[in-house]
Amino acid sequence: MKWVNIRLFALNFWRNATNLKAFYVLYFIFIVLAGYAIVNGVQNHITQNNIRQDHQVKARQSWEANPDKHPHRMSHFGTFAFRKHPPLAMFDYGLESFTGNTIFLEAHQQNSVNFSEATFSTGTLRFGELSLALLLQLVLPLIIFFIGFPSVAADRQNGTLKILLSQGASWKELLIGKSMGLLAISLLYFIPVFLLLTITLITGNDQAMSDHLWLRFILIGLGYLVFLCIVSILTIVVSATSSSPKNALLRLLGIWLLFLVLLPKSAQALGNYWFPTPSKLAFQSAIEKEVIEQGDSHNPDDPHYQHLKDSVLKAHNVDEVTDLPFNYSGFVMREGEKISSALYRKHHEALVNIYKKQNNVTHFSSFINPFTAIKLVSMTLSETDFSSYMDFQNKADDYRYQLAQTMNELQMEYISPKKASGSEGKKHIIDHTHWSAFQDFSHEPIKFSNSIKIAFPALLSLMLWTIVAMVWLVITSKRAKAI
Amino acid sequence: MKTYILFLQQCIRSKEVWISLLLITVLGIIAINIGNKHIERQQQAIAEVNEYQKTHVDRQIALHNDDLGLLLYYTKFSYINSLNPLAGISIGQTDVNPIVKQITIKTFEAQRFDTDLVNPMNLQSGNLDLSFVIIYLFPLLVIVLSFNVVSEETETGTWQLVAIQATSKLRFIISKLAIRFVLLVSVLILLFCIAKFVMNIPFTSRFLAMIALAICYIIFWFALSFFVIIHKKTSGFNALLLLSAWLVLLILIPAGINSYVSLKYPVPEALSTAIAQRDGYHVKWDTDKTATIAKFYKHYPQFEKYGYPTDGFNWLWYYAMQQMGDDDSKKEREALNKKIRLREQTSKKLATAVPNMYIQLIFNQLSGTSMSQQLNYLDATRQFHEKLRLFFYPTIFEGKKADVIDWSQFTPEYYKERLPVSWLQTILPMILASLFIFLLSIPMIKKL
Repeated sequence: MKWVNIRLFALNFWRNATNLKAFYVLYFIFIVLAGYAIVNGVQNHITQNNIRQDHQVKARQSWEANPDKHPHRMSHFGTFAFRKHPPLAMFDYGLESFTGNTIFLEAHQQNSVNFSEATFSTGTLRFGELSLALLLQLVLPLIIFFIGFPSVAADRQNGTLKILLSQGASWKELLIGKSMGLLAISLLYFIPVFLLLTITLITGNDQAMSDHLWLRFILIGLGYLVFLCIVSILTIVVSATSSSPKNALLRLLGIWLLFLVLLPKSAQALGNYWFPTPSKLAFQSAIEKEVIEQGDSHNPDDPHYQHLKDSVLKAHNVDEVTDLPFNYSGFVMREGEKISSALYRKHHEALVNIYKKQNNVTHFSSFINPFTAIKLVSMTLSETDFSSYMDFQNKADDYRYQLAQTMNELQMEYISPKKASGSEGKKHIIDHTHWSAFQDFSHEPIKFSNSIKIAFPALLSLMLWTIVAMVWLVITSKRAKAI
Repeated sequence: MKTYILFLQQCIRSKEVWISLLLITVLGIIAINIGNKHIERQQQAIAEVNEYQKTHVDRQIALHNDDLGLLLYYTKFSYINSLNPLAGISIGQTDVNPIVKQITIKTFEAQRFDTDLVNPMNLQSGNLDLSFVIIYLFPLLVIVLSFNVVSEETETGTWQLVAIQATSKLRFIISKLAIRFVLLVSVLILLFCIAKFVMNIPFTSRFLAMIALAICYIIFWFALSFFVIIHKKTSGFNALLLLSAWLVLLILIPAGINSYVSLKYPVPEALSTAIAQRDGYHVKWDTDKTATIAKFYKHYPQFEKYGYPTDGFNWLWYYAMQQMGDDDSKKEREALNKKIRLREQTSKKLATAVPNMYIQLIFNQLSGTSMSQQLNYLDATRQFHEKLRLFFYPTIFEGKKADVIDWSQFTPEYYKERLPVSWLQTILPMILASLFIFLLSIPMIKKL
């Protein structure tokens, strides 16, 4: 195998491809689309973050503006958690449009994360959204197929292949050279997109909004690079094994349809079919039932709380709860919150496990489908995937729990034990400085180490696919026929 | 007639045709199963609600019989968006929007947008329902069957023969396409028939409109194919061009429109409404009780007879505060409603020009799974909520016990939407699109 020959094939491929007028038309359209996508992505990122930031501030202001009052009123006043729009979401929208961004945090209950883009959209949202990631994942492979399908098959059809091989070039040199030529052309598409994104990220001032933003960015870039290698080799191999350019094109289009439209959709649909999500009511009533069994703090005759009361009274050696050194009603609520939160978490975890099982079908399918692999890598590292969303939900719920318990403890400590129940009025109140002393919710982005853990199987699959593609290239070079 | 049989034989001679027809039938059947499963889950959810409501109310009565105000603080009433069997064909927005609402008589705005349990990955990948098969895959089949109808004759050299022998070259091409059209429509009708029996769909005008629309959609793609193939370019070129059209129409244009709409019309009003309704209610704990009650009576003068109790906690004041959550966020709520309708109108207007987006919207509408129908359902839920409030307010304010009320009347209620199908409006844009393309082809037809 001679390097000179490989270079010759690569250069020749490049020259042939860039000689066509259609090539420039295609290139122009792609760059325009990429420009549109990035402008949209950046603007959307800025608008969304401004909206969420503004409302986080507004919600906080009205929290702090509360006068002196009973702390339990504050745990019902509650607060909002707004999910930040991650910086790389302007590149890959991922699940962004389908995940809610606002959650109301209050005592006693876990509310749903509301106001996703999808709830305010017509059914046409399911056609997808134009992002840079969509262009790289869906459109660029198609362009590579269009440019690369005749590479070997046309040479075979018009007889050039015979001449080349008889003049001393080897199949291996030919296939490697053409693959490299095609890869170079795909880079011609890929590099401007990435440069554009780099500039946007540098000029934008929210690098701190992600954990290890640049590492994520570089890994995403490398992921796409590997992906383009796989697609280029695949194209050349298919072209080399097809009898005519037309057959090569049809096969490649079939691959595109199967791997980019049908398989991903079927994988997720099957996951949903095999592991059905319970209805909201079934989910909630299962929790409600267990809460009642373990102890319902809202039921005055509940045995768990009767027992608790007796033991607390005995421990403090008093007859009435009003004689205790702390506010008993706050104590009961703290206990109630503890029980119901633990139960909620248990059930919620089970629910999330169902979701994970559904998604695992897609995750596993990345081992047979490199297109799914890059999609998962890109989305996970861009923080627009399922795990990032769950991370937000968990952090918001932790904060909610803290809020409720802090208020219950304030009640135990500062509200007179004589005030057995009720939180109305201006008598049993605490100072409003307690409100601002309780930290606001701030959405901490998901840790890089967590993202990489989730993305690992998909990254591994990309690596394996690269090896498979290379081995396949070598095998093809041994078996290929000139005629 | 004989020529048609020959055309049919010529068409189904190739292995690829059989494979692709078989593939789409299998995918169609899978899609019908998925749709059916969706319907079954919804039905199960409705059955669960019916069962739950009774035990839930009984439990609340047992706990809080003496305190009606507290009882209604906890009690949830169900309002169900009745399921259209066509929803199995076009799942639409029913996977993200709940079809059951369980509401208390407290602030409605706080409960309006509560979501179901959903896995965002499922939403993003979209549903593999029959509407997907029709909208995405049938056009591909049209392309596969028709891209070489003319070029294969020119490439094998038989076109000259046809040119001499056929009475009309146009009729020759159209009859060849017609055979393929009949073949595809048969598969389509077969799938609709399977769907009808699997999902027990009655023969309503909506169902028929759906079939008619799907057929029009296939006609549109044949028209597009016709336009391309009569230019007598090579098979490879035709395939490439038609597939590019598919890519642009089904992926790029809709994706561009979606990005445009979400960027042009962000919905900060949703967040503002959420904060406004919270503040509207909660701040009243610290403000003058008389003022709150007076504001409440301004909304409901009929309750003024219950006076102005301001001593300590009382339910009249409490529910007046809850009412303020809705009343004080009215401005934000109306802005939000306006924005959502605006988004919908814009996206509808843009979609009407793109046949595949249009058909998706109409499919959803016929199945009762569109966004506007969800909004109507939410509006109806608000009325249901209002009805409950007006029913319970006097009894609560009079301090009565729970047993004065006949609770058996509170079974889940159903929302029924009556929207007549306007045939002309449904099919016309699709026919116009096909006609338009046909008109574009006329200059080429002359040159055949």
